[in-house]
Amino acid sequence: MRVNELMTPKIVIAGVSQAGRDPYLRTMSNNAVVEVSSLTKRYDDVVAVDNISFTLAPGTVTGFLGPNGAGKTTTLRVLLGLADADAGTALVGGRRYRELDEPARWVGAVLESNDFHPGRSGRDHLRVLSAASGVAEVRVDEVLDLVGLVDACRRAVKTYSLGMRQRLGLAAALLGEPRLLVLDEPTNGLDPSGTHWLRRVLRAFAEAGGTVLVSSHQLAEIAQSVDHVIIIDRGRVLADAPLVELAGSDRTLEQTYLALTAPVGS
Amino acid sequence: MNTALRAEVLKVRTTRTTAGVLAGMVGVVLLAIALHAFGLPANRLATGADQRKMFLDVGSNMGMVFAALIGALSMTVEFRYGTIRPTLLSVPRRGRVIVAKAWSALVVGSVAGMVAAGLASAAGTAFLRLRGMSVDIPAGQYVQLVLGGAAAGAAWATLGFGVGAVVRSQVPAVVGLFVWILFVENVLIAGVPSVGKYSPGALGRALAGQQVDAVASWPAALLALVTVAGAAVCAALAATTTRDFT
Repeated sequence: MRVNELMTPKIVIAGVSQAGRDPYLRTMSNNAVVEVSSLTKRYDDVVAVDNISFTLAPGTVTGFLGPNGAGKTTTLRVLLGLADADAGTALVGGRRYRELDEPARWVGAVLESNDFHPGRSGRDHLRVLSAASGVAEVRVDEVLDLVGLVDACRRAVKTYSLGMRQRLGLAAALLGEPRLLVLDEPTNGLDPSGTHWLRRVLRAFAEAGGTVLVSSHQLAEIAQSVDHVIIIDRGRVLADAPLVELAGSDRTLEQTYLALTAPVGS
Repeated sequence: MNTALRAEVLKVRTTRTTAGVLAGMVGVVLLAIALHAFGLPANRLATGADQRKMFLDVGSNMGMVFAALIGALSMTVEFRYGTIRPTLLSVPRRGRVIVAKAWSALVVGSVAGMVAAGLASAAGTAFLRLRGMSVDIPAGQYVQLVLGGAAAGAAWATLGFGVGAVVRSQVPAVVGLFVWILFVENVLIAGVPSVGKYSPGALGRALAGQQVDAVASWPAALLALVTVAGAAVCAALAATTTRDFT
């Protein structure tokens, strides 16, 4: 079954009211879902992330941009507890990811488009993750329906196209009805209608009170999808501002991005 | 059953990997026991002790080899296909993942060891009778073969899991385990028997009832194998909790 692009995705976020209010976050001083403070990460002599700080507010879609090797993926890995910081902190809901009691209720993430066992069916992949996360198995069929993979769900993942794998990854991310979605290059492999559909999903997610951090190189797509933009290069934050401040009638997001990330001396 | 363990059991059940390895093991055990039962000279299979040694050589050894393979694959597959990332995102407390995977490997390994030993004993007995020989093995020794095989399989699967967690790469982990089981241990046992009898393979055979001069008693073998399995889990914990997953 193909996704119906005209259908408004029904997004539910655990712990967040329909009006988009999150009682937990209201107890925190800055109301931030994500708080990255003075984060530094080195690999041997290479400083991948150099003392960066930013916050993500609920109900926003933030584009996380930067050239290859800028430190985007490293930042996401540290935020999600897959790598340890050398200095600083990256907190979700005020806690390190590895300290979250129910991480699937907080964060849904897609870091790679191919993190599946090729011989396992899409549905079984989700069943495994729902079991690991303590999420009711009924959510598996709900998210399969949401991403339009019901008909293909019993096939082995090795038969899926790249776009179908992206959808399966997003389904896994949505399993726990999380407050935060972290997506690394989610439009890779999606056709134009799939990209349009993803944009609607992210918007519906934010309107339901959720927060999205999406890393991408597709600036034209990002300019249509996000409220806020963070640009990093060589491990440092170059811009952290609402989209309207970085792209408007006088310049495009791409022009701003290229001006900020231009090699020194060029 | 906690959530991490439920997920690991589901992983085993939702691919053909484990079933395929077990099916391969059944075929190899049947082939090997048939070759031994029909091919060895009658004077080498004359007594119950000779016959039991044949069952043990085939069943226990094959059980340990395939259990080690199952254990190693349970971890290296996660790295090969990148599923370690969603696994750790779902259960970010890595110690829980390691303990759950170790239990899962241990149970599947014990099944492999039990099936290999049971099949070698049953098929071996049937083949010898087909050859016209009487089989003189007490029931208690059959039980020890099967239970010892199960225990050895459990220990070797846990050991294989630990090697997989430390090495991460599938081919080197599996080749390393096979070289150890099939070559290094035999050299150790033949060259330095006082040390070789404490190698994990010799300990496994001791549990299953091997009776030669240089062999540990079964309680000592059990204690030593539990220590080996525990050390493998500790190595897996150390390798997993301190590393970055990129």
